[in-house]
Amino acid sequence: MSKKTRRRPSSVPGRAPATIADGTTPTAPVPQPEPEPEPEPEPVRPIRVLIDIEPEPVSEDALRGLMRDWRRGRATRHLWDMIQDGYVAVLATVMIGAMLVSVVIRAQGAVSACTSEGCLSSRTLLPWAALCGVLALTLMVSRIFGPVVASAAEGFWLMEAPIRRAKILWGRLVSVMVGAILVAAVFGGLVAALSGSSWSGVVNWAVASGLGAGGLTAVAAEEQTADRTWVIRTLQWLVGLVGLTALMTVVAVAAGWLPNAGFLNASQERFDLVVSVVGAVLLVGAGLLAILRLDQIRRARLVSGGSLVAGMQGAMYALDMSLMRDILVERDALARGHVRPTKGHGTGLAALVYRDAQRLVRFPKQLILLLLSIVVPYAVGALGLGVLSPVISGLVLLTALVPLLGMMRVLSRTGGLARSFPFSTAQVRTAAMVVPAIAALLWVIAVTPAFMGLGTGTAHLSGTDATIHAGVTGLAGLLGAVRWVTAKPPNYNKPMMQMGGFGAMPPGMIGNLIKGIDIVALVSLPLLFGWSYWISVIIAGIAFFILRGSMNMDDLSAAQEEQKRNLEAAKAEASGGKKKIPPPKR
Amino acid sequence: MAKQRTPVLKVSKLSKAYGSNSIISDFSLEVWAGDAIALTGRNGAGKSTILRCLVGADKADSGTIEICGNRLRESDPAVRRDLATVIDDLDFFPDLSVVEHLDLLARAHGLPDAEEAVDDVLHEVQLVAQSGQLPGTLSSGQRRRLALATAFVRPRKLLILDEPEQRLDVEGVEWLATRLRAEREAGLAIVMASHEPRLVDAVSTRTIRVGA
Repeated sequence: MSKKTRRRPSSVPGRAPATIADGTTPTAPVPQPEPEPEPEPEPVRPIRVLIDIEPEPVSEDALRGLMRDWRRGRATRHLWDMIQDGYVAVLATVMIGAMLVSVVIRAQGAVSACTSEGCLSSRTLLPWAALCGVLALTLMVSRIFGPVVASAAEGFWLMEAPIRRAKILWGRLVSVMVGAILVAAVFGGLVAALSGSSWSGVVNWAVASGLGAGGLTAVAAEEQTADRTWVIRTLQWLVGLVGLTALMTVVAVAAGWLPNAGFLNASQERFDLVVSVVGAVLLVGAGLLAILRLDQIRRARLVSGGSLVAGMQGAMYALDMSLMRDILVERDALARGHVRPTKGHGTGLAALVYRDAQRLVRFPKQLILLLLSIVVPYAVGALGLGVLSPVISGLVLLTALVPLLGMMRVLSRTGGLARSFPFSTAQVRTAAMVVPAIAALLWVIAVTPAFMGLGTGTAHLSGTDATIHAGVTGLAGLLGAVRWVTAKPPNYNKPMMQMGGFGAMPPGMIGNLIKGIDIVALVSLPLLFGWSYWISVIIAGIAFFILRGSMNMDDLSAAQEEQKRNLEAAKAEASGGKKKIPPPKR
Repeated sequence: MAKQRTPVLKVSKLSKAYGSNSIISDFSLEVWAGDAIALTGRNGAGKSTILRCLVGADKADSGTIEICGNRLRESDPAVRRDLATVIDDLDFFPDLSVVEHLDLLARAHGLPDAEEAVDDVLHEVQLVAQSGQLPGTLSSGQRRRLALATAFVRPRKLLILDEPEQRLDVEGVEWLATRLRAEREAGLAIVMASHEPRLVDAVSTRTIRVGA
């Protein structure tokens, strides 16, 4: 009851109190207020123990519809609103897409006219490599995420209810499979087109990639129902190895190390046909089996994938790739759970370096990407793009060195752990750079022959120049990786920038996308432009100085403040100690 | 004695505000060796903000902080050597086990008998069974014990703790009180924020009510 309804009127509205002629109020007997009736006791409610209640059958479709209604009803913005607000971005996307398609068509025409040994082997083998790569990636992503996932809320409120989970989950599985088919088909077709395949070949490779990826997603889902991962892991390694072999063969043929693999031309069409058929069979067979067994997926497995998706989405909205990697690394460690502890060695900074090396020995798979990246300068040279090698190889090396900078990442992302060590930020970062720097040095030694033109048939650079170019490329990759792991995430406490229909954005958010790439470009572009390599070395030196934390702005301003105070104190002392020393301003 | 001349921690007129909301205003404090200061007060009174400023995790708007006579700079090795902290921003290496974390810290601080020190602390915080576990697999209470162990396994002159009793069981709180009292009696300076009266009573030589 509201206050208004509870308030009793002091008099009847519209009616004046009665008066007699002399103006006095009549004295009427005052009515005694009636005693408040005793409140009736609440009826005792029986305690409902829901043991013997037979629940009514639940319609999963109705539940799904209810959830959809709630979600749509509570949305503050719809997709159409977003498109309307961000029409400039939509137009730009359409235009860029059209330009890309045009570029691909032209490139296909130009490359298909090439009949050199290198072009022919690339045309034959690159789609294989791309197909295997996309299949391995599909398996990896499916294994990490699920592929069938449920959010934490669904896991708690819905998956424990007496319903058939399969009816809720099958739509998701189908969506994931369709998504895998589309993405893989586009990628497979693109690589086939860019390597100069005919348009029918492009379609064949696109279909093979799509159906293969869809089929393997179905297999991954079926394995998820059986709560197994080893099958998918084994498949992933096998497919990856086949793809790597194909890529290496392309390089070897282009470099003239192997004769043209002409025998593969004949089998190419059969191969993509075989992959398409097998993919389709897996898609239907494993897909149906997975749908039938969706009820068997454990709730924890579903929710775990859902949490990972949510975490990745959050990191993606902040365009924070480092955070995305942190989530995956943390998950990997969680799955491993336990290690055999090893003894440390040395004291001081040496102890840090030793532990970093030990981590690498413990998780040698972090080196796989680095080993693979050695091929890149050779491949780039073999494809006649040697001039671009410092930039391309530097970017690939950046990616390969990031896993080796795990210690620096942890010591940079929050201050707590770094504060526990009795070293300055510059000392800690330098120590954390030692092992990756040694790895980069070994990489430089391994790729120097590529810069000398080994395998391209033509001498590219002299021995000294090649060594310097390889060294600068190694520096670019290392410093780019250091920048990538140490860059601060966007600061949401600072004033935001208005970004049209996309809402507010913290400054530095877009810059997050190019962190690391900027350093690689700065260091390696002088070589591309044919300028003196000293320019690259000087830029690398400055970048190293800044990235190791030697130029901490907080420390510099504190030191400046300290000097100022000391000066003021000295002046005050000289003038008889009467001058007041101002407190420091931070 | 040198410790009589220079306080381990000297805070002068510390102020900190978030926007127009002043959290700390002209906060001053001197902590000498063997002192244990307990900051108490309701949630949001500013205890954690004071501690974060004291360790350099947050920058104060004005005021000075000196640790063993050195002006506080968060990345100064001298400050880091003297100051051990357990506040909420402690991170762990995801691929190093519990015992390896402690071993690394002890060695980084140049402890001559690192292995022995690590064994002692590991027993004390009752994480021997978890010594090979990666931090991500520890329960919240075990993570808190590991965080405390990182502070106890290394040399220090000043210990700053933010609600160290959090997530500890009853026995854990009793152990912590005993340990901190022993540390204080051995000459360590302690500043801690706490909501646990038993811990405050057992450890502190002075209690400051923040936001009163």
